[in-house]
Amino acid sequence: MKRTVDVNIPLGPVHPCFKEPARVKCETKGERVIAAEVELGYMKKGIERIMKGRPWQEVMFLAERVCGICSVIHNMVFIEAMEQISGIAVPPRAAYLRVIVNELDRMQSHLLANFSYCYTIEHETLAMYLLDCREQVMDALERLTGARVTCAYMIPGGVRCDIHAEDQVVLRESLDRIEKELHRYASMFGNGPMIALRSRGVGILTPVAAREAHVVGPTARASGIAEDRRIQHPTYKQLGFTPVVRYDCDNYARIMVRFDELFQSIRLIRACLDGLPKGIIRGGGICKAGEIRYSGEAPRGELTYSIKTDEVGRVVEIQIQTPSIMNIEACCHSMIIGADSIADVTATFVSADPCIACTER
Amino acid sequence: MSRWIYEQDLVSQKYRILIAMRHDRIIRQIAADLGIGLQDLRKYFIEHLDMILLENLPARYEAALAAADHGDPVARAVGRALYTTYIPIVPPYVMDSIYRHVDAQVKSGTPLIEAAAKGRAMIREAMEP
Amino acid sequence: MSILQAIKNKVRSRSIHVSYVDVGSCNGCDIEVLACLAPRYDIEQYGIFVHNNPREADVLIVIGAYTHGWEEKLAPLWEKIPDPKAAIAIGNCPISGCCFDRRGSYVDPPVSKHIPIAAEVPGCPPRPTEILNAILSVRDLVFADWEVKRR
Ligand code: SF4
Repeated sequence: MKRTVDVNIPLGPVHPCFKEPARVKCETKGERVIAAEVELGYMKKGIERIMKGRPWQEVMFLAERVCGICSVIHNMVFIEAMEQISGIAVPPRAAYLRVIVNELDRMQSHLLANFSYCYTIEHETLAMYLLDCREQVMDALERLTGARVTCAYMIPGGVRCDIHAEDQVVLRESLDRIEKELHRYASMFGNGPMIALRSRGVGILTPVAAREAHVVGPTARASGIAEDRRIQHPTYKQLGFTPVVRYDCDNYARIMVRFDELFQSIRLIRACLDGLPKGIIRGGGICKAGEIRYSGEAPRGELTYSIKTDEVGRVVEIQIQTPSIMNIEACCHSMIIGADSIADVTATFVSADPCIACTER
Repeated sequence: MSRWIYEQDLVSQKYRILIAMRHDRIIRQIAADLGIGLQDLRKYFIEHLDMILLENLPARYEAALAAADHGDPVARAVGRALYTTYIPIVPPYVMDSIYRHVDAQVKSGTPLIEAAAKGRAMIREAMEP
Repeated sequence: MSILQAIKNKVRSRSIHVSYVDVGSCNGCDIEVLACLAPRYDIEQYGIFVHNNPREADVLIVIGAYTHGWEEKLAPLWEKIPDPKAAIAIGNCPISGCCFDRRGSYVDPPVSKHIPIAAEVPGCPPRPTEILNAILSVRDLVFADWEVKRR
């Protein structure tokens, strides 16, 4: 097909705004972007091929290393899929602890995403505030699980370590502090006139295009699609979970959805701490043969594991569908088309919270 | 189109994406559906789609099965939305003419299966370079 | 040592530009490098400035286990960095391939096969303070008296 193109601008793979290597090739006419193409392959490690034929004890740690930012949810979805296959029940206390750790992980991931966006639109003050706030969340995560990243907290039939009474007090205190700070930052972002100029009405993703590319997570919820796998999760059902939805479809909405979800996560953790049941944190169980397709809600959206195991708990077949695949695709094929300048391309790309390590695995 | 600097050959990397478990299943389904060879379809995809779209094939295919062309058996039989917006194999204007042709045949009394097979053949023709 | 060299040493020790490149990691080390920017660790108080532009960089931080996409890219990138320069490998991935160096995977570690590495920080992932410490020690080893050593 013949097209009138002024300039082809490749962004990446090493680019000041991108944390990770990806190459977005934009075809521009004047300053307007008329088409974009993504070139990956810089992170393809073939982790699914490594996982094949290994026992679950090894795959559990490999699953965490699919993505370092949302390592807890990869662990959780894999373990819960194994539990579903083998019919292992989780003690109620462990189920609540899982929610606490998962929400802390979601908080740090959202804070990082919002940091990246603020950094990209060159609002460095707010970016640094958010990164500082994230360190406090990381402290809480380290206190509970023993590691900052890749903590392998969940195991089939429960969790690895309990939460002590003094940890609960410290966690509550830091949550109070984080919430107070976050209110300030969220209003800074929500009411900042300069931020609005860079974000409102930029990078529109219509609900129709979102459905076509099967967009998930905060990106979908900012386009008015109320989809969240946590609605189906039994523990979240007990906690009375409702998803956050916004209808503006632009960069601003995507960031604000993340801010709203941060407050929601704080509420969920508080509810968990209030209603934390007593009892054991680890039941027993044996991993069996079976096949399942199981999804959970990662910070970036729906994460699906299709697993087939044999009778000694070895993984025979596995495929991971990560949320970033859908989000980046929608971002590059719908959001940045028609962007008014190349500067908006990087901002829009970052607002969808791309995670290339997940995408290529 | 103008040429890119630092261009590298992506065929082997794109092929790696397509041989993952779910991608492989989806591609086999599409190949059986359209009646073309597996390797031919892979080659077509590698040449025409970019890498992120290849990664997203399973999700798009499932979204299409869940949502596309409901309530219109002819459109569903030729995969009107499936092969244009969800998985861009043929351009929309070509698909429109195929759809009109099949629709006319069905209206004039040809059984749907036969007409749809004709539609498939036309899609195959459109895919030839 | 000449006065000029003393001035150069002084200046170089307080102005280090860092560029990082991710050659196929799990992101775990990536975010720990990012965390160094946080006010808690405050990388800029040591005169270290992260801005991800190879042509201005002194230190290249390498993360990840070298995938095939980088074959034609990492070495040219290393050549673009002006002298004096040093590369630091962060995490187990560039050192040994971590859990990815198995049969059937697409990685090709270690990174030191492809570019010269000056320092390695093991850990999966290492803590931000360790990363900071590595950059600071490399600064003293590589950049001090660089012109003298080159002769
Ligand atoms: S060393 Fe560990 S945390 Fe770091 S990139 Fe490799 S797998 Fe991820």
